[in-house]
This record gives sequence, C-alpha cells and structure tokens, in this order.
Amino acid sequence: MTKEETVKHLWWNAFLAMTRYELLWNIRKKKFLGILVVAFVLATLSLFLPVILSNVMNEPLEADPNYVIETGAGIGGFGFLLFAIVTAMNSISGEFESGSIVPLLTKPISRTIVFLGKVFAGFLTLLVTYVVLIIYMAVGGTIIYGVQNNLHLLPLTLLGSLISTFVWIAIVLALGALSKSSMIAALGTFGTWMGANIVTGIVSVVAEQAWILSYVAGSGATGFASAIGSQIPGAAFIGKAMSTGTDAIAANLVDFALYPSTEVNFYKGLFSSELLYIETLEFILLRSISVALVYICVFSLVAWYAFRRAEIKE
Amino acid sequence: MLILKFVIKTENLTKKYDDLVAVNKLDLEVETKTVHGFLGPNGAGKTTTIKMLVGLLKPDEGTIRVLDRDAVGDKPEMRLHLGYMAELPKFPKHLTGWELLDIYGKMFGMTKQQRQEQLPRLFEIVGLKGREKDALGKYSKGMQQRLGIAQALLNAPELIILDEPSLGLDPVGMVEVRELVKHVAKEGVTVFLSSHLLFEVQQVCTHATIIHEGIALTSDKLENISKKFAGPTKLLVEVSKLKKSIVESVKALPFVSWVAEKDNILTIKMKTSDDVRSQVSQVITKAGGVIVSMKVEGQSLEDVFVKLVKNKEGNRK
Repeated sequence: MTKEETVKHLWWNAFLAMTRYELLWNIRKKKFLGILVVAFVLATLSLFLPVILSNVMNEPLEADPNYVIETGAGIGGFGFLLFAIVTAMNSISGEFESGSIVPLLTKPISRTIVFLGKVFAGFLTLLVTYVVLIIYMAVGGTIIYGVQNNLHLLPLTLLGSLISTFVWIAIVLALGALSKSSMIAALGTFGTWMGANIVTGIVSVVAEQAWILSYVAGSGATGFASAIGSQIPGAAFIGKAMSTGTDAIAANLVDFALYPSTEVNFYKGLFSSELLYIETLEFILLRSISVALVYICVFSLVAWYAFRRAEIKE
Repeated sequence: MLILKFVIKTENLTKKYDDLVAVNKLDLEVETKTVHGFLGPNGAGKTTTIKMLVGLLKPDEGTIRVLDRDAVGDKPEMRLHLGYMAELPKFPKHLTGWELLDIYGKMFGMTKQQRQEQLPRLFEIVGLKGREKDALGKYSKGMQQRLGIAQALLNAPELIILDEPSLGLDPVGMVEVRELVKHVAKEGVTVFLSSHLLFEVQQVCTHATIIHEGIALTSDKLENISKKFAGPTKLLVEVSKLKKSIVESVKALPFVSWVAEKDNILTIKMKTSDDVRSQVSQVITKAGGVIVSMKVEGQSLEDVFVKLVKNKEGNRK
C-alpha cells in the first residue's frame, strides 16, 4: 500500500489508534482505579447494610422486589461528577502539562480526530464501568432481596447515567482545554457542581421553588409525584420526591417507563404546602434530556474549539 | 516523479509572543537530500521556527511550504511524510515503548504486519532492544530521547526534523545520534537538525542556517559559510629546522600578509580564506625545510558563528 493510498482511510485508523491510546490511559489511571474501588465498596455497603442492620436489630430482612430498579447503578449525582472528573480531567490538559501533546499532534492525525478519540474512549470507559456496576447491583440485589421486578428497564438506567455523566465530562473537557490545567479542570467542575447542587438547593429551600433550577446542570428543582394516570403505582410512589435536573435522568426514565402519566407537584419552598405549579413527568424528562444535550454540545464545542486553536508553546 | 528542490521553504515567516519577536521575517530554504543544520544560541528562535514548520504554532505572518504542501496550521496530510523529534521529547507514561510506536504507526496508516516488521528494527537501531515492554514512566531521559528518534523514523519519512537531538544524551549517545543521522541521510532522507552545538553541525551537516534573535544571519553550504565569513586565516607550520631562507620564501608569497617565527613554528597570516596549504608546503620544501605539522586557524564554524553573532549585536548597539 502506498502512502497516498493510506491517506484515504487514515482518519479511521487514526481514530481507532487515538481511542486505544486514551482507553489505555483511562484504565491505567490510579485515580480512576481508586474511584472504581470506592464505587464498588459503596455499592457493596448499600447492598449489605440492611442485612447487617437486620441482624443487629434481630429483625428478619424483608424481600424487596423493587430494590434494584430503585437503586440503579448505585451511584447518584456526586458519583457522576466523580467519574466525570477522573475520566476526563487529564484528557486534554494532562497532555499539555506532560508535554506528550507535542509528539501526538505531529502525527498525521487532525486535532478534531484526537478530540473525538478522547471523547469516545471516555464514553467506552464509562459504559463498561456502569454496565459492570449495574450487573453487580442486579445480581447482588437478587441474591439478597429476592426476585427483582422490571430488570428489563436497567438499560434505561445505564443510558440516563451516561447522559448525566457526560454533562460533567463536557464541562471538565471545556475547562481543561481552556486552562490547559488538570487542577483547574477538576476544581472548576467541582465548584460548578457545588454551586449547582448545594447553593441553589439551599436557595430553593429558603426561598421559592425556582423553576430556573431545572435548567442548571445537576439535581435541579425538587417536586413530589402526585397524580396518577391509567397505571396505579405502589403506594410508596405517591409523594416520592422527584428531581428535574440533569443528574436525575436515569431515575426519571425508569419512573416514566413504569408510570408514564405521573404528574409532579412543586411547592413554594420544600416545607410549604402552597402549590406553585404542576408538571408532567414526560415534560420534566424531555426538558432534562434536552438541557443535558445542550450542555453536552455547548461545552464539547467549546472544548473542541479551544483545543483546535491551542498553540503548543512549551 | 517530480523531484523537489526544496523540502522546506518559508517566506517572511514571523512569530511574536506579545512584544517579543521570536522569529523575524525568516526566509528559509532546505534543499532535498541534504543534512541542514539550524544553528543558533539558546533563545534564537530555532524551536519556535520548527514548531511552526510542524504545525504546533501558527505564524503571525509569512508562508510555510513543507514537502511542497502548505504547512500553516493543522495539516495531517503533510505530516504523513514527515518525521519529527521535539527537544527533550515527552511521551505518555502509561504506555509501553512498544504500545506507543504501535499506536503512532497505526496513525501513519501502517498495517499490523508493517508495524510488526518495523518496530523491532527501530528498537534495535536506537539501542532500546529489550526495553520495548517497559512503561515509558520508567524510561530515563536518554531512553526517551532515543525513543523520540525511533518515532521520528517510524514512517520512513522523506524529511526528518530533529530539534536538539543530542540534548540529554551522554557522550556515547551523542556519537550514536550523529552516526544515525549520517546513516539516515545516506538513505536519501533530508534531515533538518537544530542545534546549539557547533561541532555537531560541523560533523554531520552539509548545509547550515545561522539564526540569532529570530533573524537568519546566513544560510548556505557549510564550506561556503566558512569561506564567506571566516576572513583571512592563519596557518601554523612546524618545521624540523627553521632557516631564514624558509621565512623569506614564505613572505614572498602573494597571499601572505605577514609571518612570525618562534622556535621552529611559523605563524603565517593570510590575505585570503582560500585553502593555500599546498603552495605553502611547496615553497617550504623548496627552501630546504621539512614540515612536521601544519594547522589552519580561524576557519571553524565556531569562529564564523561568534563573528556573525557579535556583528549582529554590534550593529544593534
């Protein structure tokens, strides 16, 4: 094969090579392995804590056929953030910091392919991690709490968890590409999460339920499941707290699949009974997915543009 | 197939970092199948120029053609035929040497079979045989430098750009790098080599460009540079027994400016920079002298370099 012939399908070879390069980096990162261990420890604790407590209290452990579908992958908003940070914080900025960007960008591979390869490798890393975590929870939950209902909905949990995590990954990548500093990428994203989840959360409790929270990355506004349509859910579902943010997509997808006519009541302050407005779960879900996709696209574009324009001075 | 005259050609190439002009209207021409040295003190603009040539930096002004392709910006097709080693190259620590070259090889569009044939050969050439499976985090600076050369040769390039290839190497490694450059050049590859080591350039290069403060002071064949800028040279001749007739004969030569004598050594100052050793030798022998040794002084690249840089700084003052 001549060099000219190889050019024709070079981008595909380059993309595969770049994905392998990044994937090997992801799975060999100490911090990623550390977070993976922590996630499995937490999942194990969440599985076994009721068992331990029932033994201590000397009360029999009750079967719970909805345990797995309600717990999902065992990771919530903070878990998504942590996985996003450890997967992506070095992805672009780490190459600049170590200097390994120089030999990489002098190979016949465009910066766009480098970027796409890195994002795709991040996606594969998280996909495998979440699949393993979900299977672990499903098997563990079935052994401990008996036969489980609705396990066929677990792919929705996987899809929702990936979308939620990619919101944070896009933010990490954008901050990393703009600052060329892994520390700024990690701390900046953590600060954004803190602001989005904690500060706005407090504000929503002491002030009014703010509709604007539904458009901020993170947990969003909180309402309570109320009206029931044609399907009659279990009593536990009525009054269940429901979040509208990008971190709640997985749970909302499963709830929507189970109870598509659900409505959610939003009150003036979490401790008030004064009803502000009502939204359908369908609308909440569509909005949160749209908001997540907008965040993912905008921050990814910022990251890609900054990376393409970056000059390698050092 | 059309044979290129110049593999690198820049016109009016300029790069500024805020107020600092790192490269100033540089016109650079590197002929095909030459070993072209890019010589200059630290901070002269060598690395900035090279980074523009390989697409890591964008020029503020000017044009760049590498291998007859526009090379400004992100041009993967141009880099397909190019080998490049950065100054003190850094590689991702999580990969092994083999994995790195295998991944880079795939980026060059090499098949698995091509990579499996090429990689062991390269590890052998650069002296890293047996260390292929080690993580790059365990490689010393010198080993990373060798790997840098291996990855620059990976795609059998038409042009290799080496930025300070001897930096960080021990004396044996430096000699090996020079031999490697000579070997690569013999195979018809054009080598563009930046260095601040004058002897390195003198030993391996056929052509050179001298750059200082972002400005090219001269660019030519190495021998022409020496001739053009070295000026009159001195010849030190040791004879077995110095006689007056020898001194008079030498003084009578038309290209001799003056002659000094001490012990059995004649110091002859020339009016020319041409090589006149045979004429001097003939005259001394005819006058009955026996030459023990003969040494030319003041025609090294180092002298030219120092002279050019001092002239440049003098002009500025």
